[in-house]
Amino acid sequence: MALHLKLHTQPDVPLEADCISPDRMQSLKNNEISSMTVFHGNRQVKLGDFFDCKGTFDGEITIDGDLSNIKHIGASMSLGKIIIEGSVGLHTGAGMQGGEIIIEGDASDWLAAEMLDGKITVKGNAGHMTGCGYRGSSIGMQGGEIFIHGNVKNETGHVMRRGLIVVGGDSGDFTGVNMIAGTIIVFGTMGIRTGAGMKRGSIISFNEAEILPTFSRNCEYQPTFIRFYAKYLEKNGFLVDPSYANGSFERWSGDSVEINRGEILLSKHKNK
Amino acid sequence: MIEKTNKKVVEENKNIKIVHDATCTFCGCVCDDMELHVDVDEKRIIKSKNACVLGRAWFAEHTIENAPAAMIDGKEVTIEEAIEEAAQTLVNAKFPITYGLSDTTSEAQRQAVAITDYIKGNIDTTTSVCHGPSGLAFQGVGESTSTLGEVKNRADLVIYWGGNPAESHPRHFGRYAVTPKGMFTPNGKKDRTVVLVDVRKTKSAGVADILITPKPGKDFEVLWALRALVKGVKLSSDIEKETGVPLEILTDLAKRMKECRFGVLFFGMGLTMTRGRHFNSGALLALATDLNEYTHFVAKPVRGHGNVTGADNVVAWQTGYPFGVNFSRGYPRFNPGEFTTVDTLSNGDADAALIVASDPGSNFPKKAIEHLKNIPVITLDTKTTDTTKLSHVAFKTSTYGINTSGTVYRMDDVSITLRPAFESPFPDDEKILKSIKKRVHELILKNSHSGGASGEAKVAAAVNPL
Repeated sequence: MALHLKLHTQPDVPLEADCISPDRMQSLKNNEISSMTVFHGNRQVKLGDFFDCKGTFDGEITIDGDLSNIKHIGASMSLGKIIIEGSVGLHTGAGMQGGEIIIEGDASDWLAAEMLDGKITVKGNAGHMTGCGYRGSSIGMQGGEIFIHGNVKNETGHVMRRGLIVVGGDSGDFTGVNMIAGTIIVFGTMGIRTGAGMKRGSIISFNEAEILPTFSRNCEYQPTFIRFYAKYLEKNGFLVDPSYANGSFERWSGDSVEINRGEILLSKHKNK
Repeated sequence: MIEKTNKKVVEENKNIKIVHDATCTFCGCVCDDMELHVDVDEKRIIKSKNACVLGRAWFAEHTIENAPAAMIDGKEVTIEEAIEEAAQTLVNAKFPITYGLSDTTSEAQRQAVAITDYIKGNIDTTTSVCHGPSGLAFQGVGESTSTLGEVKNRADLVIYWGGNPAESHPRHFGRYAVTPKGMFTPNGKKDRTVVLVDVRKTKSAGVADILITPKPGKDFEVLWALRALVKGVKLSSDIEKETGVPLEILTDLAKRMKECRFGVLFFGMGLTMTRGRHFNSGALLALATDLNEYTHFVAKPVRGHGNVTGADNVVAWQTGYPFGVNFSRGYPRFNPGEFTTVDTLSNGDADAALIVASDPGSNFPKKAIEHLKNIPVITLDTKTTDTTKLSHVAFKTSTYGINTSGTVYRMDDVSITLRPAFESPFPDDEKILKSIKKRVHELILKNSHSGGASGEAKVAAAVNPL
């Protein structure tokens, strides 16, 4: 039976609970887990003041309740699995080094910020700065996979260095801004200024997008690798229309104000 | 004529004091060449020589009001009672926030940072709702900078982007950037080319040799195109369709930028507070950096409040970050979007607020104001405002630069000492904040001795020298 945490008291100010991580909980008894320290605003309190703890850790932690005011869950985790039954607050999976987080509801801003490895799946929407670097950081996500079935807001994949971000819905402005490398796939529409300042990396969209004047159109072609991606995405719960995967894509290269080695691929299927 | 003569006679009979080299703290220009004529008996400034229209209004409006110095829930109390209540409120809060600070002295700002550090709160300044995006961009891109004195003496290409200084900073043209004669610009305006980039023709357009009007919300694209042109990248003429600016105009501007001796980009909130925000500022700063491959080019934000630059400086040298700083874990963390005041209020995070010299109750989003109404608010302000009206504890304080001496920072980070004109019966912000800080410290020590605080808090309270 998995370790089960159930929120019994809603915090009245944000609760910072970076102790909710398989790495920290794997060798502890339930009473020890309940005694772990969390920050309720500026007060150090016990995890048990907010959560009931049942079951035993078998590599998996399930968390119940509205966690939208709880931050840093699964931050820096390197193993195991966390299943969040509802929505969750800021910085979930930030700096994650391995393992898996599944969020049944929505995720807030800075989801998987500066992630190193592992996998995050969000069944709902995610906020701003998904897989980004923190302010002042020159490198964001450095590995791992983020699958979001809904929409994301601005700056997804900001200064991303490696890894994969898949957005089932729409993305906001500045998708892949200052991207260094890695792959972002957006099923829906992207906001403005996609890939601004990108050095390398691929941004793939199944819709049209506004392209900055510093990108240049190269060609229209049928990239083989997208078919492989499509199969992989289907395994991860995304429905990919074969006419997109097998269809033509318009390739734009940029950003010419940087080293011009990034690419934006836009599906032509919609125009047919 | 008779009226004027009578007025002169009346003025001659008054007890007039003249303050030379006084400083106007209305806007970020912080002009320090004021000559103030003060009616000492009536305690008001009757003439402010050298001031612009905004400065004259600033000096004329700040008179001594007949109002209580301190109130709790709208009832007059002694200052000591108000300080006790304020300190208790802040110490008991789990997520106290400090906000404002841009219209007070740096000495008072320093006290506010210390209080926030003691109470493990969250400190933010009005920067977060004006040039906060520029603060983020400085960190992300860097800043090629100079003083306004260097601009006056050297700049031969002056570009204003997304601002209307003729109305917001009326002396910016005459004192610093357009018409003054400098060491290497002996003919003033004749030695300079002035470019204005704005989505509409404002009163500032009168001084511009070149006026560029991009489509609204297309500043980033124009800046990005200029960066490309400066780097020698060829662009399509479709740029005009997208941005509203013909390629020839952009090419000409890029050429002028590369060929000038000393160029400066002044940017305002028309750039920082439109879609793209910190990326707009970042694009402009990156353009200035790119241009340093060819010539000397600097970029400066045109700051609004009199000491908002001081707020950035003081918060930065005390915490390491300029705004949006959180101490809840006992050390400073910076994260605009999470720890900026609009967010802490709109998300319902804050449970008490210390507002210094600012009026968020009148200009914040509705959701934030609604939350502000539901938490205990402590205000320090020279006037009655929407925020002081909803305050639990309200202090009326004296005005910096008019009644209070101290230090302020001009928009180019140059510090200037204030020469007050006349005394106020109200205490200054620094004095009130010092008293609150002292009482907060006592309460924290008391809690730590009675076992009310964590070990970490005990250590912090015992060793914190602030």
